Amino acid sequence: MKFKAFLTENGVMLLERRFLPALDKLGKTCHLLLTKERVIFLHNLLNGDGIQCIAQFQKEVLFDDYRISSQNEDCIAFAVDLSLLQRAVRSSVSICSEFGAGGSPSNRLQIKLVKKLPPKCTQPMPYLTFETKGYKAAVIQDVPISKPLPRAQVLELRAALELAQELPLTLVQVPDLNQIQNYVDRMRHLGEMLNVSISKYGDLHLQISTALVSLGAEFRKLLVIGEKAQAPPEDENLSAETRHQRAIMRQDGQFVHVSVKHFAKSLQCNLTKPDCAFYGIAPEGASLTVIFQFFVPGTHQTDKSIGLHCRLPVLDPGTN
Amino acid sequence: MSSSAVEPEAADLVCQLENVQGMVDSLSAVRWKRHQDAVVELSEHGIVLILEESNCLQAKVYLRKELFAQYDYNAEERPRFGVSLGLFVDCLSTFTVPGRASAIEIRYPGPDMQLLLKSLDSSDACIYAEIRTIIPDTVSWDYNFEPAGSVPLSFTVKSAALKEAIDDLEWPGSSIRINLKPAPPSVSFRGEGHGDLQIDLMYNVNSDLLLDFNCNHPVSHRYKYKFLRATTSNLPSSVMKENRGSKLTIGRGGMLKVQHLVPVGRAPFPNPHVIDSASHQQQPGRIAYIEFFVKPEEEEDDNRND
Repeated sequence: MKFKAFLTENGVMLLERRFLPALDKLGKTCHLLLTKERVIFLHNLLNGDGIQCIAQFQKEVLFDDYRISSQNEDCIAFAVDLSLLQRAVRSSVSICSEFGAGGSPSNRLQIKLVKKLPPKCTQPMPYLTFETKGYKAAVIQDVPISKPLPRAQVLELRAALELAQELPLTLVQVPDLNQIQNYVDRMRHLGEMLNVSISKYGDLHLQISTALVSLGAEFRKLLVIGEKAQAPPEDENLSAETRHQRAIMRQDGQFVHVSVKHFAKSLQCNLTKPDCAFYGIAPEGASLTVIFQFFVPGTHQTDKSIGLHCRLPVLDPGTN
Repeated sequence: MSSSAVEPEAADLVCQLENVQGMVDSLSAVRWKRHQDAVVELSEHGIVLILEESNCLQAKVYLRKELFAQYDYNAEERPRFGVSLGLFVDCLSTFTVPGRASAIEIRYPGPDMQLLLKSLDSSDACIYAEIRTIIPDTVSWDYNFEPAGSVPLSFTVKSAALKEAIDDLEWPGSSIRINLKPAPPSVSFRGEGHGDLQIDLMYNVNSDLLLDFNCNHPVSHRYKYKFLRATTSNLPSSVMKENRGSKLTIGRGGMLKVQHLVPVGRAPFPNPHVIDSASHQQQPGRIAYIEFFVKPEEEEDDNRND
């Protein structure tokens, strides 16, 4: 099993400034799946608890000179602590910049999978090693990782990844994630369960409802991708709650209950600076999906080399 | 709880406020503990919120109708209801947006006697809240504040200085004695417990802090620290920044009245979603009045009473 690659300047910037800070907020540890073509960070895909999050990159986005080989169709997967990873990238960056412009061959940041014997141990342990060679000094940082996953678990991970890629039939585009984040930050301590309903008319409704208060935000006439429908004019002046109830009765909408904490956590993906986001409910109300989209810089074209989405588990309303 | 499909006809009150932050600030000023139930009274003059504790402390927030861009009052009798203050403030806070004025509409009652709030800023994004109300207890303490004599006993001190003084007086861990003296014109706050602390404000010396002073005979009363503390503990940052005066008056029997002024600012630009029926009228300053009433502790020595 071998892995060695050089982080590009773009890769360092994406990871250090945008993705690692966001992924760290979603969960302390995650799986890192390296394939021949892609690099994928996965939260909670194997244990089924909490928010699932998948951040995937085409290898060229992050790495140069990417070499991987293993007996699992050249796939390697392991668990890693994101704060340690973040720290290693950050300090390597500062060393690179201290000793000269980044990107020149003499001080590129190399990442390698290694086995080393830690002090006071008899067994060698696996690490992801960061190596920077500056003009005057070389710095090596070892990020401890879990034992690489065995074949069966790698297959399980890849199957879960396939399943998680299924798109909801209707997705609505959220215009301003900051607005939603600001709102959720203020309403979150008023209740634990968030009702989310999405209609084919392009309406998104978020509501917390307890015995003492019902608090909601409705975003209307959003861009719809997938199955869409025309909003009946007679619904125009109704309250948000009634409007969505009618849409659901007509099978033009769906609703799910999710944990407010999970929803707020998923909004931390805003730290990756996406260009827009889409919300959708999986068939049968199995989960709430949010897909973050990134544009090719300077355009409105989707950058297909970067993908980020979360799936929130749904709650049984009886367990509020 | 569900809202009806049709808006209620002729609600008792429908009013619109251009910047909800001012209301959040005013109500936050009377939040001295986690769980408080407020009594809300609606009238043709405005909205009043009343809170009390232990028959020793009462607070009132006056939101005059002139503070509102629109104020449609239709009730025959003055509606009165109870609401959780913390819940009310937290709900109002969800309408605030950092760096921007947010306009809201307040309506009472909803179909289930709820207090209804709705954002007014955008037609395609709407925030709303429906807060359950309760039948209020009768306000048991009829404080009936009366002046101590023909000349009021009062002083006005900069709000930030008053808060700082009261915060410092936590240290002795005792009741606080307030002494007013006409000669030299001065007020002192004294705590005697784990050590002594006295804070003196001289009218002719600390004129930057003590803005006004009226006293024709010495007077001295003691107040429980936690109630005195409640009168300044949650002053909003807008009050501290503007740093106007807070007025303290000692009434008959030593009842202490503490008054603060909280700015309820207007939006910098007219909000196209808000119908401003008041725009052509001469506006009094956009201020909410907060009043606290604190009962004095009983004195063993009658000579010290006024």
